[in-house]
This record gives sequence, C-alpha cells and structure tokens, in this order.
Amino acid sequence: MNENSKDTRRARTWGIVFLVFAALMLVLFLPGTTGSQRTTFAFDLELSEALPIGSLTFSTQGGLYLLVVLAVFLGAWQLAKGFKQVYLILGVVVLAFVLAFLTWAARDNSMNMTGMLQATLLRAVPITLAALSGVMCERCAVINIGIEGMMLTGAFTSALIGSLTQNVWVGLFAALSAGGLMGALLAVMAIRYKVDQIIAGTAINILATGLTSYFSSRYLQSIPELNRPPTFVQLPLPVLSRIPIVGPVLFTNTAPVYLMLILVAVIHVMLFYTRWGLRTRAVGEHPQAADTLGVNVFKTRYVNVILGGMIAGLGGAYLVLSSVARFDENMTAGRGFIGLAAMIFGKWSPIGALAASLIFGFADSLRTNLAILRVPIPSQFLLMAPYLVTMIVLAGVVGRANPPAADGQPYEKQ
Amino acid sequence: MLKKLWVLLSLVLVTTMLVGCGGGGAGGKLKVGMVTDMGGVDDKSFNATSWKGVQRAIDELGIDGSYLESKQQTDYATNLAQYVNQEADLIITVGFLLADDTADFASRYPDTNFAIVDFGSLGDNVRGLTFSTDEAGFLAGYAAAAATKTGKVATFGGINIPTVAIFMVGYEYGVNYYNQQHGTNVEVLGWETAANDGVFVGNFESTDDGRRVAETFMNEGADVIMPVAGPVGLGTAQAVKERGNAWVIGVDTDWTVSAAEYKDVILTSVLKNMDVAVFDTIKAVQADDFAGFNGENYVGTLANDGVGIAPIASGAVPAGISDELEQIKADIIAGKINTGWAEYSASLE
Repeated sequence: MNENSKDTRRARTWGIVFLVFAALMLVLFLPGTTGSQRTTFAFDLELSEALPIGSLTFSTQGGLYLLVVLAVFLGAWQLAKGFKQVYLILGVVVLAFVLAFLTWAARDNSMNMTGMLQATLLRAVPITLAALSGVMCERCAVINIGIEGMMLTGAFTSALIGSLTQNVWVGLFAALSAGGLMGALLAVMAIRYKVDQIIAGTAINILATGLTSYFSSRYLQSIPELNRPPTFVQLPLPVLSRIPIVGPVLFTNTAPVYLMLILVAVIHVMLFYTRWGLRTRAVGEHPQAADTLGVNVFKTRYVNVILGGMIAGLGGAYLVLSSVARFDENMTAGRGFIGLAAMIFGKWSPIGALAASLIFGFADSLRTNLAILRVPIPSQFLLMAPYLVTMIVLAGVVGRANPPAADGQPYEKQ
Repeated sequence: MLKKLWVLLSLVLVTTMLVGCGGGGAGGKLKVGMVTDMGGVDDKSFNATSWKGVQRAIDELGIDGSYLESKQQTDYATNLAQYVNQEADLIITVGFLLADDTADFASRYPDTNFAIVDFGSLGDNVRGLTFSTDEAGFLAGYAAAAATKTGKVATFGGINIPTVAIFMVGYEYGVNYYNQQHGTNVEVLGWETAANDGVFVGNFESTDDGRRVAETFMNEGADVIMPVAGPVGLGTAQAVKERGNAWVIGVDTDWTVSAAEYKDVILTSVLKNMDVAVFDTIKAVQADDFAGFNGENYVGTLANDGVGIAPIASGAVPAGISDELEQIKADIIAGKINTGWAEYSASLE
C-alpha cells in the first residue's frame, strides 16, 4: 500500500513537471512573437549526397502552440492515467521544449537542423572516446585522470608520424601505440608501484603537456613539413548516405567516427555479455573474490588500462587526422576531463557514455547556432550550457551514480 | 615507497627540464624578458608576433632577450617574479589577460621597466602598447563584403575581451559601410556591436572548436569567416580549405606567410604589427637618453602602420575595390569615417 501510494505520487509529480514545461514554453517564448513571424528550419547540406528535401517554413506562433498543446496533453495524460515509460515521455517533453526554444530563436530567420545534428555528433566523438577510455580503466578499478594527457600524446604522435609517412593509417596506429604506452606507464605506477592513482594520472597529464609542448615548439612549429599530416576522407556509405537528415549525420563520416561508434557497441557487449567483461567487472567490484576464483587481477588491470590508453590515443588522433590536420599546444583543451564527466554521467557504461557525450555535443553546437541567431543570452552563459545540462540531468534523472566498488584502490595479493 | 618516490621524482624532473627551457643570460647587455599568454610563443598569433619583435632586437640591437611561456593564468605572476629576480631591465607582458599581474609587479618594483601588449599604461614605469585594430578590421570587413557571393559574412572570437572584440567591431562597421556605398545588404553573422556579444568558443587553444564553428557558419550560408582566436583559427582554415568555396581572413599576421598551407583560401589578413611596437620599445629603453616611460602609450594605427591589412587574394574582389580601400584608409586616417570604437567603448560602460 505504502509502495503503491509512493508510485502514484511520483507519477503525479512527473505529470506536473510536464505541465510546468508547457507553462514555461508559453511564458518564455510566446510573448516575444507576433502572428506574422515565420520560422525556417533548413535540412539540406551543401556538398552532401542526401536527397534534397528543401526546408520547412511555418508560423512561429503556430509551431509554438502546437508544441505547448503536445506537452499539455502528455502532462494531463500522465496525471490521469500515467505512462509506463515515463522517462521516454520526459524525453519527448524536453525535446518539445528544445524545439520550441529553437522555433522562437529562429523567428524571422532560419537555421540548419541537419548541420546542427552533424556538429553534435562530431563534437561528441573525442568526448566519447575519452569517456570510453575512462570506462575501460575504472571498470577494473583503476582511476584514469590522465586521459587528457594520453589524448594529447596521441594527437602529437599522429601529427608527427602522419606527416613523416603521409599515411593516415600509420599515423592512427602510431597514436594508438603512444596512447597505449602512456596507459602502460599509468598501469605500472598504479598497479606495480601502487602510487596514488590521482597523482599518477596528474603526473601523466603534466608529462604529456610538457613533452608535447616542448617538441611542438621546438620542431613541429618551426619545420612545417613535420606538422602537415594527411586527413581521413569522408566515406559515405552507399544508399544509406542518401537518406535525408540521417544520411549526412550518421552515414557520411570519416573512418575514426565509424570506429568510435563500433567501439561503443563492441565494448558494451564485451563488458556486459562476455566472460572477459564479467571478469573485468569482478576485478572492479571485488578483486579478492575474483582472485580467489582464479582471475588474474593484475593481468586484467594491465590489459584494460593499456587498452584504455589506446582509446584515448585514438581520441587525440581524431582531433588531428579527422579534424584540423595539425598539432597545436594543448589542442585537446580539456576534452579528457569532460570525457570523465561523461563517463560518470553515463554510469560507467559505454552506451551511457555515448549518450552523455552527445548531450555535451548538442549543447556545444546549439550554443553556436543560438549565438548566430543573436539570442539575447550572453555568450558567457551559453558557454556554461553543457555544464548546466549535466548538473540538471545528473541531479534530476540519473540519480546516484555508483562507481565500481574497488575504484581507485590498489590490489594487494594476500 | 622509495621506488614510488623515484618514479614520481624523475617524471617531475624531466617535465620541468623540458618546460623550463626558455631562459638564458649574459652580462652587460640590455636584458629583456617576455612573458607570453596561454597560447604559447608559437601560436602564430600575438605571442609569436611579439616575440618576433624581441628576436629582431636581439639581431639588430644585440640585446639579451628570452621568453617564459604561461600555460595557465596562475603562471603569469610566477613568470614575472622570475624575471624580476633575474633583474631584467625590461619585462614585456603579452596580452590583456596579464594586466592585473603586470600592474601588481610594476607597483612593487618601480625601478624595473615594463611594457604590456594590448593594454594601456599601468603606471609610470609601464609603457602600454595598444592598437586601433578596429581601423584594420574595418578594411577587412569592407573587403569581405565585396568578396561574398552568398551575402553573409561571419566572424567569431576566442573570449569576449576588448582586444578580441575590437577586430569584430571594425569588421561589422566595414561591412555596413560597404552596404551603404554599394546599396547591398550583406549580413554579419557572429558579432553585434550594439549587443556587445557574438559567437565565442571560450578558449584560444581548441583548433577543433574553430573547425566546428566554421562548419556551422558555412551551413548557415556564410562564405567569408574571420576567426579572432589565435591558433583556433587554423582549424577554421582547414574546414574552409576542405569545403573549398569560402574564404578565411587571417588575424595578427599575414597568414599567407605564417600559415602558408592555407594560402589558397585566405582572402586577406588583419595585421596588428606588435613586433614593431615591441622593437620600438626595446630600442627606446636601450637608448642612452632613456629617462623612463613616464606612463606613455604606443598606439598602433593605420597612420603609423601599427595596423593594416595584407594584400587581398587576386581575383577575389571586383576590380576597383583596391582603390576604394585606399580611399577608405585615407579617410579613416583623416578621421572622416567612424570605425565603431566609440560605440563599442560606450557599450562597455
């Protein structure tokens, strides 16, 4: 009975939340509009293979009313009958809110939706790879604060080796090796010498920043031939790339982007549905128990941390070989740390990490579009958006995120 | 335990060795130290240009010059302290963000000479090296408006501080002036002087951000982009080069020289000749009759070639635009054209 009434109360709370969203749309967006204003959402990208579908122009107020009605309906239904998949409906309501925001922001103006979605995915790639690196390490109880440094090393190596060989794949392989080496360094410090893992990771960041900055200013910047790596070309998937919106966003990408998506799926399956995954998680939760059952704790940790380093190296290589075609000091600009946040946000699961990174990527690309549309929100606040979103989602939806039980503790064989 | 310490110690030692390779010294010569901002001395932007001024002084005036790089804002004071301890004759700080620490050190060490790039004088012993970049940005904006085929030109900055925004202010006014003169309706994306706000990536390091913002601008129809964000702009240049149907406007130095791999897509560059200002300052301090700065300012303008624009890519703009630009330059020097600085400073208050 008690359980039951708690459930009803929670269902009611969500209903009210949906209605609040509807009210916010009315209060925030409607007053600034007039009946004659039109919003245009464009969907076609230049130089894309997708079939052109033109753009959608509609009355700003009409669009807003439609979205408000949708949110009111969902809220009322939730209050009266309740949805089974309440989080899914929450997603729909939040989406309606974001769409209302964009409808308002693009009044008497236009904005390219496909372009924004494409930027969302591309901005999420390095963050996802950083988060995946974190998942690999922390699932077996090694905290990796050094992801930023590993990415930087990967970026530097891919630029240097890529330039020397003029081959993207060799550059990518070099970045993986360099990242793996940094991972091995962390592993030796954390596992063999039981150095405090936060300090070991920080040492890696300082080392990587120092080394790459020094060699960059000494050689890469003064000898341009050493800093001119080739870049991955876009590989549009046949047929799929011709689908409007989805084609340019998902199926017209470079190899590292596909590789990232495949890695997320593979690691997710490996971690939760294979023996290796079970062992890794056991080592992360209760190493003594795993050891008793014959799992080699040290070996598992070494392998995972080195793999984690390689994934971080891939993240660095992406920034160079698939984005800007050069190395510059500190070019990772904190993505390794954002990746750590995405890992926690995604509850230490690869798919969760991807979802969290996409939210960061969306917030990033959204703020660029909003600033172009001259939304009267100071750019400093727009820059805060990804972090605000994290806090709200963490506090409101994800709830408590529990790290692996043995996270950060060195293992001492009894 | 001992082993752990050794591992850590050696790591730290290697790193400090590598990071701290800036210094050097010799007796008798004028000792000049330069403290960079976060982009580092090879940012192909304001740090690099200022350092070029010091290098020229080393070659031509035989001074003893060196630099210390700041990796983060907390390094400013540490680096300043290091030069004060080395008893440098002149300490040059590069950038608006170093103003607070420079003012602090200048008041504590009144016998040392300081110069700060991108800021007005901060005391008797400090020479301010400032630039009317809005004048050069105006010319670039005019050229951009002449070059665009889509009727949309864009600009974005690293962080919204006056020394960045001043480029964008001039740019917007230049575009508007072109519209006035030619009866066109070219739109500026990414900056609005009246709102004192626009598109900013929030840093001066992430080249990837520069690329993504450029792609968004191009998706929204812009075909000329001026990135005012140091090395971040190189990511923009790469995106534009791959797309192939747009232009980039370089800032600080002539990018067809400093970033030659992108020269095919560089429309022009807004030149801010900090090297000239730095060299001029070192020369002044070295002169026998030097009697302190007395709080003076150097202001780089179109008139004294402290700012300017690089040659415009051939065939990018209709014939005749060059002559118009010459005329506009003369008019700006004569004070006949408003480049937006007054409105911008008013919006700051």
